[in-house]
Amino acid sequence: MGRKVAFIAALFGALALVGPAQARVEVQWWHAMSGVLGDRLNELVEKFNKSQDKYTIVAVAKGNYDEVTNGVIAAYRAKRPPEMVQIAERGYMTMLLSGAIVPVQDLVEQKGYKIDFSDFIKPVASFWSYKGRMSAMPFNSSTPIFWYNKDHFQKAGFDKPADTWQELEKQLYTIKSKGISECGTVLPGDFYWSLLENYSAINNQPYGTLANGFDGLGTEFVYNKTKVVSQVARLKKWLDDGVMQIAGQGFSPEQLFTSGRCSTFVNSTASHGNIERNATINWSATFLPHESDINPPLNSTIGGGAIWVMKGHTPERYEAVAAFLDFVAQPETQVWWHGATGYVPATNRAYAVARERGYYKDHPTREIAVLQLSRGTPNENSRGFRFGNFVQTMLAQRQEVEAVFAGQKQPQQAMDDAVKRGNEILRQFEKLNAGKTPETERP
Amino acid sequence: MPAAVAGSSRRSGRRRPREEAGLKRANFGDSPGLPTLLLLPQLLILLFFFFIPSLRALMQSVLLSDPFGTNVQFVWFDNFKTLLASGDYRQSIAVTFWFTVAQNVLTLGSALVLAFATDRIVRGRSAYRTIILLPYAIAPAIAGILWAFLFNPAVGPLAQVLHGLGIAWDPNLNPTDALILVTLAASWKHICYDYIFLVVGLLAVPVSLMEAAAVDGAGPIRRFVSIALPMLGPTIFFLTVMNFIYGFFETFAIIDAVTKGGPAGATNILVYKVFVDGFVNLDLGSSAAQSVLLMSFALICTLLQFRYFDRKVNYGV
Repeated sequence: MGRKVAFIAALFGALALVGPAQARVEVQWWHAMSGVLGDRLNELVEKFNKSQDKYTIVAVAKGNYDEVTNGVIAAYRAKRPPEMVQIAERGYMTMLLSGAIVPVQDLVEQKGYKIDFSDFIKPVASFWSYKGRMSAMPFNSSTPIFWYNKDHFQKAGFDKPADTWQELEKQLYTIKSKGISECGTVLPGDFYWSLLENYSAINNQPYGTLANGFDGLGTEFVYNKTKVVSQVARLKKWLDDGVMQIAGQGFSPEQLFTSGRCSTFVNSTASHGNIERNATINWSATFLPHESDINPPLNSTIGGGAIWVMKGHTPERYEAVAAFLDFVAQPETQVWWHGATGYVPATNRAYAVARERGYYKDHPTREIAVLQLSRGTPNENSRGFRFGNFVQTMLAQRQEVEAVFAGQKQPQQAMDDAVKRGNEILRQFEKLNAGKTPETERP
Repeated sequence: MPAAVAGSSRRSGRRRPREEAGLKRANFGDSPGLPTLLLLPQLLILLFFFFIPSLRALMQSVLLSDPFGTNVQFVWFDNFKTLLASGDYRQSIAVTFWFTVAQNVLTLGSALVLAFATDRIVRGRSAYRTIILLPYAIAPAIAGILWAFLFNPAVGPLAQVLHGLGIAWDPNLNPTDALILVTLAASWKHICYDYIFLVVGLLAVPVSLMEAAAVDGAGPIRRFVSIALPMLGPTIFFLTVMNFIYGFFETFAIIDAVTKGGPAGATNILVYKVFVDGFVNLDLGSSAAQSVLLMSFALICTLLQFRYFDRKVNYGV
């Protein structure tokens, strides 16, 4: 694969040489945004390209997050990486310790731009920075929120979904028993993110040792000893009682919600664009529920992606990269992106601007994510999750949860097995990166 | 595929040396230059797309490395040891075995029935054949989505029929249902492949034999089972080998579209696991070790088939 990419890259390189000399410096940005979000991203890049005449950013859609990651790995191994790449939050440790990146704060400062990194909203800043320095530029940050069908809740005699899981459960069972909808809720495709990881953060449950991995590579999962086990049991019960459905392959949970078939669903705040476009129902959204004995609930954590800068390019190209990153961090850009997509504004100033303009009066559900993310004081259970090989441990966990749903395992057994498998994967990452500190070489 | 066809005919040739005696061997003269030159394109393709990747896979399978390749450790056979010790991998082997065998039986069985049926039809035979061949033109991923949709427990029309019959069909939850679904989808996609070979095979059955049997009072089914089927032996043998290879390597897109290996790893066949561990989990060492093992399984399977099954096949038509 690397060879093929190298060949194609070489071919394009040769073509570029015979082309006319360009006055503008061109840099590549590989990303994973498709659909409405992809259109907005292209608009963003166009805005930047029009705003000055020195640089051109070329945005290249490379498929989903996994495909982008694979693409950039192949390109890096073939020594033709793009200048910038959007990587999902789960790939943080892989990128940080890869030795293939330039930390953005170093780059931006070296090129003389003054981005106020202390102004980034807390969960975003703490997730994407290492030892107090920003490693990647936060770009599309999201968090799961609770979407619901207003009509269904009114018909069942409720104003809105309850704040606690216990009360919510009663509501969903009422909705189902009254025959108002076929299913109270639908299992999100990324339930591990919203209903296990974020659940742990909100309910102040430890997920792994060493502050969920923030304090070192020696971290181990511990969610088999927390409320996560009863959460899995709850989901299993809902499935068995027909209160929750699984959408399955080839069909998205979102479709079951927007078509009015299921009354609620948990999904990223970034689905605002799609839901506004597709839903024929009277929808709204609120905070994720919390356990009744946890008060107050803590903040949720972020997902989504950030822009990483790859090593191995010329100084003038890094000029272009720095200029673009500076543009992305501007409050104006952030406010526009927030409104256009539903992603969280990355900085406090951007949030303040959106508020001042009365944006949330017209779009109240867009503020939920920000409020939920900045609720309370983040502690080591809620700062975020920083595990090596995080995608791999997540897939193992997912498989174990599916075994519970299939009736093959009890929740406790499944979570014990998931933790055991996960810890083996973590040890492998630790072995590979033993004693490693992230690359801090200046561009 | 063409190489395999050539392979089987070469084997049949070996048993009939009188044909080979007629071949001339000195067509190129004595210089090795021209033949080498003519072979070069194919050899280069083999080199770049088979030998070098295979070697790299072998190398990678004894390494622990981060995806970017900046940090590499030599770990001897740790990747293999971890794999063989993992319940996940053993489950994958079992699933692959059942999936491949079931798919093979189903595909070949249906193709035989269809070939027999269309062979009996006189009017509109080519129209029937075309219709049966159509699924081959559908991309595996599309075929997968189609089946996933038809049998989706929430919205699929066929799932509704099953629910109506009192069957609690749910491939999202039930591992057996999921395995049945991918087996059906994979077989459906491959029936036409087997079918076309069998149709051609049936054409080669001498009409005189069939007529003689008919005169002796053998019915169509008897004629098919006792005369046509044994004569199809070489074709069926070839198709069995091809079906195994299809099941091992080419059903990846269907699995990805229908179940993504789930639920609970119930449809996580070996080739899909190689993909997920390599391209999603970025665990390159394990993925390489798996592909080495998978290649060995396929090789052993094919060798066994040739060793034991080949003897029962009658090539002398």
